[in-house]
Amino acid sequence: MNIHTYEKAWLIAAMLLIVGFIATITYGSIGLGIAMVDDEGGSIDPNEVFDHEEFSDPGVQQVGEDEYEVYVRAQTFTFVPSPIEVPAGSEVTFHVTSPDVIHGFSVVGTNVNTMVIPGEISTMTVEFDEPGEYGLVCNEYCGPQHHEMSGQLIVTPEEEFDLTELSAEAPDEVATGEEIEVTATVTNGQLEDLDTTVTAEIGDVTLEEDVTVAGDGSEEVTFVVDSSDLGEGDHDWTVTVDDYEESGQVTVGTDESDENDDTTDTEDDNE
Amino acid sequence: MSSATEQSTERPDTAADVDGPIKEIGHDEYDPIGTLVLIGLYFLILVALWFFMYFVEFVGNDPTVVSSILMGVGLV
Amino acid sequence: MSNATTAYFEDFPEESKVIHSAFWSSFIALTIGGLFGLIQALHRTDVFRFMDSADYYTVLTAHGVLLALTFTIFFLVGLFTWATTTSLDRGMVDLRFTWGWYGLMVLGTILAAVPILAGFTDSIDMSASVLFTFYAPLEGHPLFYVGLVLFVVGSWLAGVDWFRTWWAWKQDNPDERIPLPTFMVLTTTLMWYLATLGVAIAILAFILPWTLGLVDGINPLLTRTLFWFFGHPVVYFWLLPAYMMWYIMLPKFAGGKLFSDPLARVVFVLFLILSVPTGIHHQYLDPGIAEGFKFIAMTNTMFLLLPSLLTAFTVVASMEHGARQRGGTGYLGWLKALPWRDPVFTGMSLAGLMFAAAGFSGMINAGMNINYLVHNTFWVVGHFHLTVGTAVALTFMAASYWFIPQLTGKRLWNRSVALIQVLVWFIGMTFMSNAMHRGGLFSIPRRTAEPQYEEFAFEAGVGSVAELNLQVALGGTLLFLSLVLFLANMVVTVMGDRADSGSIPANTYAGTLSGSEDAPLILDNLKLWTTIAVVLVVFAYTLPILSVIQDGGLFGYEINGFPVSIAPFLPAELPASLETVTAALPEIEVIP
Repeated sequence: MNIHTYEKAWLIAAMLLIVGFIATITYGSIGLGIAMVDDEGGSIDPNEVFDHEEFSDPGVQQVGEDEYEVYVRAQTFTFVPSPIEVPAGSEVTFHVTSPDVIHGFSVVGTNVNTMVIPGEISTMTVEFDEPGEYGLVCNEYCGPQHHEMSGQLIVTPEEEFDLTELSAEAPDEVATGEEIEVTATVTNGQLEDLDTTVTAEIGDVTLEEDVTVAGDGSEEVTFVVDSSDLGEGDHDWTVTVDDYEESGQVTVGTDESDENDDTTDTEDDNE
Repeated sequence: MSSATEQSTERPDTAADVDGPIKEIGHDEYDPIGTLVLIGLYFLILVALWFFMYFVEFVGNDPTVVSSILMGVGLV
Repeated sequence: MSNATTAYFEDFPEESKVIHSAFWSSFIALTIGGLFGLIQALHRTDVFRFMDSADYYTVLTAHGVLLALTFTIFFLVGLFTWATTTSLDRGMVDLRFTWGWYGLMVLGTILAAVPILAGFTDSIDMSASVLFTFYAPLEGHPLFYVGLVLFVVGSWLAGVDWFRTWWAWKQDNPDERIPLPTFMVLTTTLMWYLATLGVAIAILAFILPWTLGLVDGINPLLTRTLFWFFGHPVVYFWLLPAYMMWYIMLPKFAGGKLFSDPLARVVFVLFLILSVPTGIHHQYLDPGIAEGFKFIAMTNTMFLLLPSLLTAFTVVASMEHGARQRGGTGYLGWLKALPWRDPVFTGMSLAGLMFAAAGFSGMINAGMNINYLVHNTFWVVGHFHLTVGTAVALTFMAASYWFIPQLTGKRLWNRSVALIQVLVWFIGMTFMSNAMHRGGLFSIPRRTAEPQYEEFAFEAGVGSVAELNLQVALGGTLLFLSLVLFLANMVVTVMGDRADSGSIPANTYAGTLSGSEDAPLILDNLKLWTTIAVVLVVFAYTLPILSVIQDGGLFGYEINGFPVSIAPFLPAELPASLETVTAALPEIEVIP
């Protein structure tokens, strides 16, 4: 078999091209540290996704200084949670799975992109250096409303980020002269202590208390107001911590029965 | 030496433009220099585009999935 | 081959009828699939929407199945039957058998098409809007899978037919080399047997029993992996008939000879041994498959570039030979001496040029980590519209301008219309695929009816999304226009009268500059290459498949199917979709 000299030259060039391509990809893996989605995430019975300790209530968790884990359920035809909020300057590990069909999980305009396959957990670690807002899109056909399956990923400036949750409780009605107790529970999902101020406005009375919530802990603050200071009638109350706010209404006077059973629970978290 | 498929054609081809060869060029007298030029250009385009796609479009499109010490932590 | 002064229909009147039927089956699929393509191009760009977006996926399923499988493979079986009979210079062994596999393929197509098209109407309780990849747990009507199986079995029997014709020839010609066209047919067929094992197992062992309720569970990653075991080599099943045309016909139309028969054989051998152990490169972003397996698949895929790069040289050198015989001179001046007014030559050449561009986007797709950039984006759609949508489709259409007269004895109705047709296809695809590639780079997804989202907008690096949408819509419209011209030409041609005896050109293919006598005998050792191919497949796939089964089970989890029908499907709520399961497929036991 005689191969023409020119074609021999091309054969060598083609081999160089192929080896060069493989070398570039290898450089990306080793030199730049780019990792492939692989079998590290493990498997999961799709029927048990809703009972799984993380995927039943998916969301953002802090696991170390500037290190976060995000659990995401990709399901027909939505991402849970969405928007996902993480701080800039952090290393975020996503765990994504599906309870139903195959989906995609693509962070628009980035190289964060994976298949989501029922039975498997896709695990990816990403460093977010800068704040920004990204779209999330399912890029694998998953059914008739596939095109509606989108979401949002918000990378907030580090100093604005928290994993604080606030809930508040107050009676709906109290008799005139009794005390009104407003109880605020502040939960700190981050690992560092949270120094903050809880403010309660009950009617025209404003109360403040500084609290320190331990990392991965919660604190309860109770504000007490004498209802006779407010007078009979309906009074709005609001509890605020940083950007979080809970509110309700308390009625002073009128019916005095079963006052202790009627309470307003409010809850908010940062989702 | 070549197989004799084409030589015996006497009837016109569909391709009326394909006239019979003006001259016969045999294996030993033919150097595909034009092909070498074209394929050389293709090679250069491929290399340039590959570098552009990998190092500008891809690496510039970060964030990218990286390997992490966290791998496997947090999952039961 | 000896009888090179007569047209094909004169030598093989009966075979001509089978091939002509296969070509028309292919053209009908092309027509419907092409129309659906136009609808999609206008719908997803929001240029013109007349249907519900849920119907888009039914259109897309039909587009994919009809064009990627039906159009390409019907043309292939016709072409390979022509190549076998022409190069062996003998008819098929038993024409009843030939008609038999053709009939089976038609039956399979109809059985698969009925549930797909039934997805458009609520009055028939049947649908299969699962796209051409039919990833479980999406669930189509069982008839869809049965149809696919029959179609593939038909293609297997076609392979048997070509092999037995070759065996019969070998009895009479024990010392002769396998003629190049037959060699191409046989190696491609062997590759196809190996590749289709994946899809056959996926359907027969897992998906069909599960849709019929014989087993409760399915392992979605396993059936997906088996699909891609088949899903990558199938692209070579589309492509190799086009390669055959470029090797054995294009040099002739250029007025020259094939530069090297031995290298053509090397190329087809490389495709036989390397096509299958590469499918995992479609799964670079799949969880549950270790990175090492992905790297092995990448290495195989990258080396698979070699036969295509060699083809580029050999085919262009053959064209240059033609140009120089026609008086062409200079480093590039010879290009002017090529017969650019011939639609057959020009169509195939433009298809080859597009394939050079497709080669580049394919190199990107082959890269492992760069897949994060392009996976499941519009880029990929741009890529395969250059490969199967142009390199293959345009070559087939151009070849038809030569073949239909060969098969019918009728002159091509209009060569100028044919020339315009191939040019319009090229221009339309330039617009469409360019915009698709660019859109993919900023994450516009593939397979989406409405890539317009509430939460965010895609940001184009250069240009704008609106401009890209217009290019896609314009390109799609030009492609459809080109398709109409093609069909008109074909219909008017076959409606016409037979040409005078002897006025249809002779059924010949290109001679060679370096012939089969220069090719080492070992190249014709099909058993050896098949063995190597099997060994490579075992090496590339055994461990990944075992680990997928170990993680998720052979029959996976008890998963209910998600029948993809349009009307009763309620969004978002899982219980609602479970109700749909019960309503649509009462025979399936619903696990709460």
